[in-house]
Amino acid sequence: MSITLAGMIAITAAVTAILMVGSRQLSMNLVLYSVQTLLVAGLTIVIGIQHQESNLFLIALAVASIKAIGIPRAFLWIVKAIQVRSDPGTILPAPLAMHFGIVLMGASSLLTSGLPVPQGTAKISLEATAALSLLLTGILLMLTRRVALSQILGFLTIENGIYLFALTQTSGMPLIVEMGILLDVLVAVMIAGLLLFRIKSSFEHIDVTQLTGLKD
Amino acid sequence: MSIILQWVSFWLSLLVLPLLLLGVIRKLKARLQNRIGAPITQPFLNFFKLMNKTETISETSSWLFRTTSVINLASVLLVAFLAPWLSYQPAIPGDDLFLVIYLLALVRFFTILSSLDTASPFGTFSSAREATLSLLVEPAMVLSLIALALSQHSTSLSKIFAFLPEISLASLPLWLLAGAGLFISSLCELSRMPIDDPTTHLELTMVHEAMIIENSGKNLALTELSYALRMAVLFGLCAQCFLHALCCIWHPNVLQQSLLSVVFLFLVGFATALVEATAVKLPWRTAPNFIAYGLTMSLLAAFVAIAQGSLK
Amino acid sequence: METLALTSAIPLLLALLSISPCKLTLIKSVVPSALWIHFCLIAWLCWPVITETIPEIRISQGLALSHLGALFLLLTIFVAASALTHAKFFFDKEESRTAAPAPRHVAIFYACSNLFLLAMCWVFFCDNLGYLWIAIEATTLTSAPLVYFGRTRHALEATWKYLIICSVGIAFALLGTVFIFASSQHGAIAGGSLVISELIHNGSQLQYSLMRLGFIFCLLGYGTKAGLFPLHSWLPDAHAEAPAPASALLSGSLLNCALFGIWRVNEIMVSTRHNLISHDLIVWLGTITVLAASIFLVRQHGFKRLWAYSSIENVGIMLVAIGLGSGALFFLQALNHSIAKVSLFLLSGNIVQSTGSKSLGEIRGVIKFAPVWGLLLALSAFAVTGAPPFGAFLSEWLILTSAADAANWAVVITLILGLTLSFVAVSNHLVKVLFGNPKPSYAYFQPILTSLLPACLVACSLVLGFTTGYEVFKAVQ
Repeated sequence: MSITLAGMIAITAAVTAILMVGSRQLSMNLVLYSVQTLLVAGLTIVIGIQHQESNLFLIALAVASIKAIGIPRAFLWIVKAIQVRSDPGTILPAPLAMHFGIVLMGASSLLTSGLPVPQGTAKISLEATAALSLLLTGILLMLTRRVALSQILGFLTIENGIYLFALTQTSGMPLIVEMGILLDVLVAVMIAGLLLFRIKSSFEHIDVTQLTGLKD
Repeated sequence: MSIILQWVSFWLSLLVLPLLLLGVIRKLKARLQNRIGAPITQPFLNFFKLMNKTETISETSSWLFRTTSVINLASVLLVAFLAPWLSYQPAIPGDDLFLVIYLLALVRFFTILSSLDTASPFGTFSSAREATLSLLVEPAMVLSLIALALSQHSTSLSKIFAFLPEISLASLPLWLLAGAGLFISSLCELSRMPIDDPTTHLELTMVHEAMIIENSGKNLALTELSYALRMAVLFGLCAQCFLHALCCIWHPNVLQQSLLSVVFLFLVGFATALVEATAVKLPWRTAPNFIAYGLTMSLLAAFVAIAQGSLK
Repeated sequence: METLALTSAIPLLLALLSISPCKLTLIKSVVPSALWIHFCLIAWLCWPVITETIPEIRISQGLALSHLGALFLLLTIFVAASALTHAKFFFDKEESRTAAPAPRHVAIFYACSNLFLLAMCWVFFCDNLGYLWIAIEATTLTSAPLVYFGRTRHALEATWKYLIICSVGIAFALLGTVFIFASSQHGAIAGGSLVISELIHNGSQLQYSLMRLGFIFCLLGYGTKAGLFPLHSWLPDAHAEAPAPASALLSGSLLNCALFGIWRVNEIMVSTRHNLISHDLIVWLGTITVLAASIFLVRQHGFKRLWAYSSIENVGIMLVAIGLGSGALFFLQALNHSIAKVSLFLLSGNIVQSTGSKSLGEIRGVIKFAPVWGLLLALSAFAVTGAPPFGAFLSEWLILTSAADAANWAVVITLILGLTLSFVAVSNHLVKVLFGNPKPSYAYFQPILTSLLPACLVACSLVLGFTTGYEVFKAVQ
């Protein structure tokens, strides 16, 4: 049996992503995203202690302060300012989407079992499963939601999945690259947040499925 | 010696705990809502009061209506003997999880039949609702038990809930998830708060209460008793799941286990009271969304069980 | 080192100047002249690499400027300088309208286009897959405000789609980068490496299945940015809604950056010597993109969307060149496309400004009310579609012959079909736009100044068509 602490934290993060798919309250989603990112940051610290790499502590600090606290706080403020509380969702109802998310988690465990793993670890890596599951859940979130804010959260979840994959399946990307990626994501989210305000003020809604003015 | 002790304590629990649990939940709920509430012994007093009352039976009803409460009580008693809802319970052969599930389904079946039998309009629509709910809840409940069965490679409930000495930290998530799934589906199964309000006085919104609206006297007393027993068994199973989760971290001895299983049973009752005091009853349309969370927990538990199985 | 510092310094200073509280007229004339000086300086600095007297300018472990990178760097600065030179006339005209843009918005436009140029220049310096990703994502972020310049609902929608689709698309390239990093760890490089030259050097020892996954994800990710066929939906919206100089920048230089990313990843893939799949995949994706874009061209109603789809078509052709493994052909096609497309977008901007419409159905008789624009528009459109005397004809011909040399007959036939279809479609739309009777409200403005730059670009395209033929042909052989 090889369920490690790291694997458990990773799977819990993936479960919070699945719960995000199941909840339609935007503030609840933001809290869940924050928890998920904190778990990812915690995992970074755990791996940092295991491999004794001080770089990882810095990255964990940056991830926790920017992605787990800064971005959700800013978005909570936006949610209050634009007065949109919940997301009506698209075709798939939230509970069914959540079950679909679990199916995707199962699928990702099958997919990751085909990947070559680093020497001396278990055949199925829970961390890799969690990472891929986060990625797929993020895509699911983007597909099943219509409010622009949820789309950004979906993108951030995808990004968390990729980060988790890089963290657990490789010996850690170089610090400068990780920081650059974090900066890019932060700027992208800031621009998207500004656009949210503009969309709200000029369309009086933030429903992306109704943005169909441009066609061939 | 210990077997005799087991039987004695089990019989005592069987007689006292169900109605006591009901009373405690009601009292806690009242205290959480800043009311004084009825005394904890109120369900016992109610039971004896109802036993002494005369019964009013609709002229159009058949033998089904009169026998249902007895059949139900018998089935639930059988479940209470089979399912290991207390850790000091003597093991009985034939404690298969599917038998228990379908005995519970039998209870539901007869309750629905008897409420249809009286031809009361409330009974009819509430039985339709009950049937719909059971359709939604059953998969969640079965799946959470199956997830546990998968990890223990047995469908015998006493084997699933046996306290193994080598239980490790790795099975903590499984027990927690299965417990959560079982708890949410029990709330629906027992017609508790977010799905159905047991204290409501508006028949149009009732589910379970509207089904037994025609029962009175001894009939109602037995129905209430079997309800309390069913609640004790289901919450007891949840409590066992959480107790096992605790055992992944800390290994108690037999006496501690026995005490803890009762404590955990009341803790689950407390959680129920907390939910009832804070939650509002969901509109009928959104009830499936709540049940879906239970199913999610059970699915996750099944996923974890399968993943562990393939890791071994 | 000084190359990178200089490349970064001038756009950065210009961006700072643009947001500083100095006069807009000053910015409008200082930025283009500084950029032309910048172009000459960089050309002088890069000359040894371009003439291949030294193989590359290496700055540090993860930063280097190769021969192809230097060529693209110069092309990018050239495109930016041209577009921003013309931008002066564009904004002068915009400010004379009743709904004039706020001066602050114009200042932001200049600032962001300089930052955009900076991000694009960095792409060509990156010798590290991580840096490459960061630079390409930075191009999206800095160009989003350019698309939003109009502040209209449509502009907002186009910006949102651009930002979200490209960010999510490029997230997959990040996943691909992680896969490639993992594959290098399983191989010979202890601790793994993201440095492209190191990866190419150890290509045969990379873990192949991870490398292949990484390659596919990078192709999808950067392909979204380049406008590959099923992932192209943001491209026509963004190109059509952006102001003309920004459209020229997006089409003439941004697409090259994304394709350059694919080229770098493909280089690694080729070095693993399992290259059959990657070649076929890229060539076929390119071919399908060409065919799909030409079908979209047939049923087009937007004037600027027409050129956007023509860009997608050219991206397809460049992908085929990448798939055939020829950097020279890739650059030649990019060069010809960029020059002609910048001219086209700038002229289209003039025409849209004077007619006040972006719809193909409403623009009529350009040759009557603005003969010079009409003539130049026709010439640039022929240059873009690859008509004979222009440079694009040469590069497309060479790509077709090398595909034929590789005995890829299905690709050759589909490409010819797509190219012919697009030529017919563009000519058909062009005839309707050029001839007919213009509305009296159409106003011709500043005919000499607004035609100057497009005329130079068309001349460049013609010169390229006549001169580079022999040398490139030899380089390909």
